[in-house]
Amino acid sequence: MTANNNREITYLEAVREAMVQEMRLDKDVFLIGEDIGAYGGAFGVSKGMLEEFGPERIRETPISEAAIAGAATGAALMGMRPVMEIMFMDFLTISMNQLVNQAAKMRFMFGGKCSIPMVIRAPSGSGTGAAAQHSQSLEAWFVNVPGIKVVAPSTPYDAKGLLVTAIRDNNPVLFMEHKLLYRQKGPVPEESYCIPLKSAEVKREGRDLTIVAYSIMVPRAIEAAQKLAAEGIEVEVVDLRSLKPLDTDTIVRSVSKTGRVLIAHEAPVTGGFGGELAAVIAGSEAFDYLDAPIRRLAGRDVPIPYNRNLERAAVPQVEDIVTAARALAQEGK
Amino acid sequence: MATEVIMPKVDMVMETGTFIEWLKKEGEHVNKGDPLYVISTDKAAIELESPADGILAGVNAKPDDVIPVTEVIAYILASGEALPAQAATRPVVTSSAPPAAEVAAVVEPAAAVAVAGEPGKVRATPLARRMAQNLRMDLAQISGRGPRGRIHKADVEAFQKPELPGERLSVPAAGLAPKAPAPPAIPAPIPLPDARRKQVVPLAGARKIIAERMAYSAFSAPHINLSLRVDMTEAIRLRERVLEPLQAQTGQRVSFTAILARAVATVLPRHPYLNASLSDGSIILWDDIHLGIATSVEENLIVPVIREAQSRTLGQIVTALADLTERARNRRLAPAEMQGSTFTISNLGMFGIETFTAIINPPESAILAVGKLVDTPVRSGDGFEFQPMIQLTVSADHRIVDGVAVARFLDELKSTLENPYLLI
Repeated sequence: MTANNNREITYLEAVREAMVQEMRLDKDVFLIGEDIGAYGGAFGVSKGMLEEFGPERIRETPISEAAIAGAATGAALMGMRPVMEIMFMDFLTISMNQLVNQAAKMRFMFGGKCSIPMVIRAPSGSGTGAAAQHSQSLEAWFVNVPGIKVVAPSTPYDAKGLLVTAIRDNNPVLFMEHKLLYRQKGPVPEESYCIPLKSAEVKREGRDLTIVAYSIMVPRAIEAAQKLAAEGIEVEVVDLRSLKPLDTDTIVRSVSKTGRVLIAHEAPVTGGFGGELAAVIAGSEAFDYLDAPIRRLAGRDVPIPYNRNLERAAVPQVEDIVTAARALAQEGK
Repeated sequence: MATEVIMPKVDMVMETGTFIEWLKKEGEHVNKGDPLYVISTDKAAIELESPADGILAGVNAKPDDVIPVTEVIAYILASGEALPAQAATRPVVTSSAPPAAEVAAVVEPAAAVAVAGEPGKVRATPLARRMAQNLRMDLAQISGRGPRGRIHKADVEAFQKPELPGERLSVPAAGLAPKAPAPPAIPAPIPLPDARRKQVVPLAGARKIIAERMAYSAFSAPHINLSLRVDMTEAIRLRERVLEPLQAQTGQRVSFTAILARAVATVLPRHPYLNASLSDGSIILWDDIHLGIATSVEENLIVPVIREAQSRTLGQIVTALADLTERARNRRLAPAEMQGSTFTISNLGMFGIETFTAIINPPESAILAVGKLVDTPVRSGDGFEFQPMIQLTVSADHRIVDGVAVARFLDELKSTLENPYLLI
């Protein structure tokens, strides 16, 4: 460990650093997407990368997500390790055929004779006033596609380590970057490191209640936990980090300890990943330790509104988590 | 529009209910589904939920008010809404106005009663169920403080450590139904001996089923056990007479168990309460006699069944018995052939046991235990003679049948066996 390990950078910089370091290390890694060159990407993630790596490796495309996904899939098939950037996760809808029917399936359909080592980077989530077509969290669609892994980091440290792992993975990995987290700062070591997938992390320990969360819901859950600690309610926050593969052991261990679980995500509640988590918990060893119903706190079943107040109201905020967690912790007490 | 909060009609015959307490304050915001108030009927205290989102207003029920069903006792107002004009004028039927201390004692928001038509079901969290099972507690005895009386870990713990007087007092007789009677003392887990273990055999499979059924029978059916001796001289003679012809006919040797089975199947129809089952508050008297024959196979008890034994001849019983026991020993019996008996015979005579009592094989009402043939001295004139005798013991479920009925059955069985030609 060097003195640099105390260095703090943003989530956005951590994502960039992971890409830059991997591209220096491996000539097969390249970035493909819209406006990622001179403009530096819609959120500035790839700022400066064109200068270092040139247009061959920072490949700008026409406005066609289908083409980005198709080109990335083809390149991966031929041995490259593309990182494709989709400007807003919402536009993954346009690339679905390439991702779902091609990238996810080839390895299986060709009996393992090929692999598709690609990363699909996609800014997700609401809270920026970008309205219904630029604010979605579509992870539930992808966890239901065998062959695609889904990662959703909540801190700069996790973003860097998980992205390095995703780039080195020989399978398509959807890497969700929450727009509101881009500016969050946190300690990130300068040297490269990997965080394995399927390694959920207990971000905060507590005895009364577990909140299972990922992405933006993790810092919100931690903030809620701090508020509840003042009332004597000790909340444990489990950050999934990867939704698929899912680290069920950490979840089950935590819920078995606290006996109560609140599942928080931003995506709409119906058909959301929380349902899967609830089923996993209910079917696990933790069932016998549940002292209250499994509860979900998730986005409302509405398109994200443009109006800022309504936008806030559409997805769980810190105060919503406080209210739901408090009620759950006190149920039957 | 303001939403009415009413005294609900929670059972068909309810006309009034006693208001117990508000769980929210007037003016407080409530969400639809939040626990809002507690009432009691003459059966139980019941927690009720808010029918709408909004502000609790126009409250006009207070503890111990006796209120007709459907009477409005408050309103839930949406923001900006005013109370309807007719509010706050409800006449109170009676108010027993108990001392303040008693009112304050009514702090239990809900009894462990399933509110909506689930008699016999207890709401409890998985953890509470598991704890109660480990502690051998009956959840029905515990009142839950969770929504709609759901029992949580905290309730099980509180029940384990009886509360001090003054904490969560039970409610005095006025208004509320009496609390569940004090639970039977639960024995603390008995410490195991400090000894070296040869083997630990999991209680699983057939052993587990036997364990559960026998414990259920032993602890739920009050057993009465009646014994008498039967002179088997004539039965032995009968057996000798029919041994060869029946062997020619069936290929099997007639056993005393077969003769006993034939005798039981002949006598039992006249003693219907010994061929009966208790189910859902009724006693079912069976017309068929499905005779279970307790058999030991590799340390496990199984009970193959001779179906409709009342209409089988001795030869048919011999054949059925030989077939069932043979297949039982080879583990070739279908599950259906080991279930559904209405009366069971257990014979341990071959092991030298002279007399024993058996546990009723549920859901039957009686079981016959058969001992060894013993040459027994019996007074005869001035001296005595030896008679080959067996002891028969019937264990019967005293909920279904009384001692005299069992005695009559045994007596008729005895005379049948002592004059077995009646069986032909």
